[in-house]
Amino acid sequence: MFKSLRWRLQVWHAIVLLIVLTSFGGIVHSLHWQTRLQQVDAELDRTAGVVMSQLRRLLPRPPGGRPSGNRRPRRADEANPEADAIVRADANIVAASPRADSLRTQTSPESPPASPPDQAGPPGPPRRDRFDPGPLPEEFQQLFHGDEESRLYFVIWGGNGDLLQKSDSAPTISYPNLHVGREGLPIRIVRSRPGDQTYREVIHAGMFDMNILVGRSLEKDLAAHHRSGFLLAGAGLVILAAGVLGGGWLSSRAILPIAEMTATAESISALDLSKRINVKETDSELGKLATVLNQTFDRLQSAFERQSQFTADASHELRTPLSVISAHTELALARPRSNEDYRGAIETCRRASQRMRSLIDSLLLLARFDSGAPSLKQDRFDLKPLLEDCAELVEPLAAERQIRIECKPDSCNVRGDWDRLSQVVTNLLTNAIRYNVEGGRVRVTTRTESETAIISVNDTGVGIAADQLSRIFDRFYQVDKARSRAEGSSGLGLSICKTIVEAHGGTIVAISQVGVGTTLEVRLPLATESVPAAGIISKEIDKELVLK
Amino acid sequence: MRVLVVEDEPDVIRAVAMYLREEGYSVDTADNGEDGLFKGVTWDYDAILLDVMLPRRDGWSVLSELRRQNRTTPVLMLTARDTVKDRVRGLDTGADDYLVKPFELSELAARLRALIRRSAGKSQPVIEIGNVTIDMTSRTVSVDGSAVALTAKEYCLLEFLAIHRGELVTRTKIYDHLFDEYDASLSNLVDVYVSNIRRKVGRELITTRRGMGYIIDS
Repeated sequence: MFKSLRWRLQVWHAIVLLIVLTSFGGIVHSLHWQTRLQQVDAELDRTAGVVMSQLRRLLPRPPGGRPSGNRRPRRADEANPEADAIVRADANIVAASPRADSLRTQTSPESPPASPPDQAGPPGPPRRDRFDPGPLPEEFQQLFHGDEESRLYFVIWGGNGDLLQKSDSAPTISYPNLHVGREGLPIRIVRSRPGDQTYREVIHAGMFDMNILVGRSLEKDLAAHHRSGFLLAGAGLVILAAGVLGGGWLSSRAILPIAEMTATAESISALDLSKRINVKETDSELGKLATVLNQTFDRLQSAFERQSQFTADASHELRTPLSVISAHTELALARPRSNEDYRGAIETCRRASQRMRSLIDSLLLLARFDSGAPSLKQDRFDLKPLLEDCAELVEPLAAERQIRIECKPDSCNVRGDWDRLSQVVTNLLTNAIRYNVEGGRVRVTTRTESETAIISVNDTGVGIAADQLSRIFDRFYQVDKARSRAEGSSGLGLSICKTIVEAHGGTIVAISQVGVGTTLEVRLPLATESVPAAGIISKEIDKELVLK
Repeated sequence: MRVLVVEDEPDVIRAVAMYLREEGYSVDTADNGEDGLFKGVTWDYDAILLDVMLPRRDGWSVLSELRRQNRTTPVLMLTARDTVKDRVRGLDTGADDYLVKPFELSELAARLRALIRRSAGKSQPVIEIGNVTIDMTSRTVSVDGSAVALTAKEYCLLEFLAIHRGELVTRTKIYDHLFDEYDASLSNLVDVYVSNIRRKVGRELITTRRGMGYIIDS
């Protein structure tokens, strides 16, 4: 069962479907997560914007230029190893920016120690060099409340790494000490918090010489993402199941005609060859297969029919002389007879036995050729003497019927078995005499056409009708049964001729016109000088072997 | 009894015809299907021996044509084909019996006798009329248990009349059934046979209906 076509189709279909669904689901899932992250980032950006605008409102305007202008030199004598470490830890994030080098140079080991983040808390008394926005408005603080998993937080620290401000919800996190170059533009960094991927943070560095980090936990998003992942997997499984079922239905539909064809083919046996596969669509692949199979069955049936016809004919032909012998001996022995009667009976029996012998010889010859082991000689000889010999042989029969034989062949060499080809020619001549009109003529000629020698035997007989002409080479076929029977012919002569000629690589054709006569043409390949006889080849091989 | 032998093999036809003639039958022959059909339709034979493989028209076709023309003549098919399918086909087409070649002439004659007897409605091989017993198997006639020597033709005439016992058998019918196509139908030949039978078997067995024919009363 597991080797059946249907099963294999099913399995392959399921595998392909599984791969397609998995990759599709995977892509959708990851795109979904990307979108979600973008949404989170946008939210964080918005929040950062809000924080910025709040800060801008609260920012004191220092006299003359940007606030960052007078702060820079101070940074050189302040050591901040912690911030340095953080920047290094985050170098991979910043490195993507073309400003990474400038960032690194701006961070000096002499940076002042950063106040611990938990100390930032409520803003202390404003310092000259430190921005302190003061207590944040209530509604602003509310932005950073909410449940634990999705609460926003922000942290603001100065260009020198000092913590300036942070929301109540901000966890204790280390923040990178980021600076921008003098002429630098603000940097925006989006990151997952180092060491804890469940937090997403956006850092805007260099705004008013401050760094602001807004972040929030992704826990809720991850949970939702997992939920949607499970949903996707579930839907995928449902689609897979439906696909497999549908595929099963399709494959069984596709297999059904094959099963029908198998059943029909199985039911065709030697006893009943008449069944055929029902062809519904001749254009489909299976329809074509069925048509081809039906044609094969047709050929098989006709071969079987020919075979059984041949057997029946052979059995009939063999039983007839047996019946003659049986009937005449019984008749002779039934009561006392005269010597003449006995003699007559014995003569009849002898004729019958001769007929049987020739019939058996013919059948054996055909059987030998059929089995593919005709053991033909491969001599090279001229057809002219062969034709003249045969004409001489049938001369008495022709004389008996006052038929003139014109035998004027030209020389042409062929390769083959002299005796067998003589048999063919004699047979054709005998037929031409037997089925000729009294005082008629038989003409034997030869000619060559390219590489072919053509023997032509033409008579002035009654001719053969077109529908019968196609069958004259069939075994046991007789055009005029009554006449053939009277002549003692069995109907094997021409089929033997055909078999012998074909074994020589030639063809035999009949052309006839009713009332005018019949011509039989035997075409044999011409023997060329260059091809040595089989015997010579074997001698040469022997010599080679001896030399070695 | 007059039979038709349709067979294309001249040697077989010769032997069968001679054997049957020696048995007292009148035998007509045909060596092809067309002739066989023509004769079978034209004459009222007691039986037809029909070969299957015939030139011009095969045995099956001759048989079905005969039956189509309402000829109920018993037909014995002769054939070289002995498959069950062929036998079934022969019997289904309307053949009464079937004989496969090569056959024994004695078997052929026995089957022929049985066919003729059955077609006349007398399946018993022995007919007893008063003190006369006709044994159709051994083709002998005895009166009060003692055998009577009859010639083949005399026996055939007696058997023919006995089979059709109770029926008037016309002279024409006797000629048709007892003489073949080659016999010269001499007008007094039947009278000679009848008087011979009367002399050998008994005067009162066969009654003459003047100007009509003969009858054996049942």
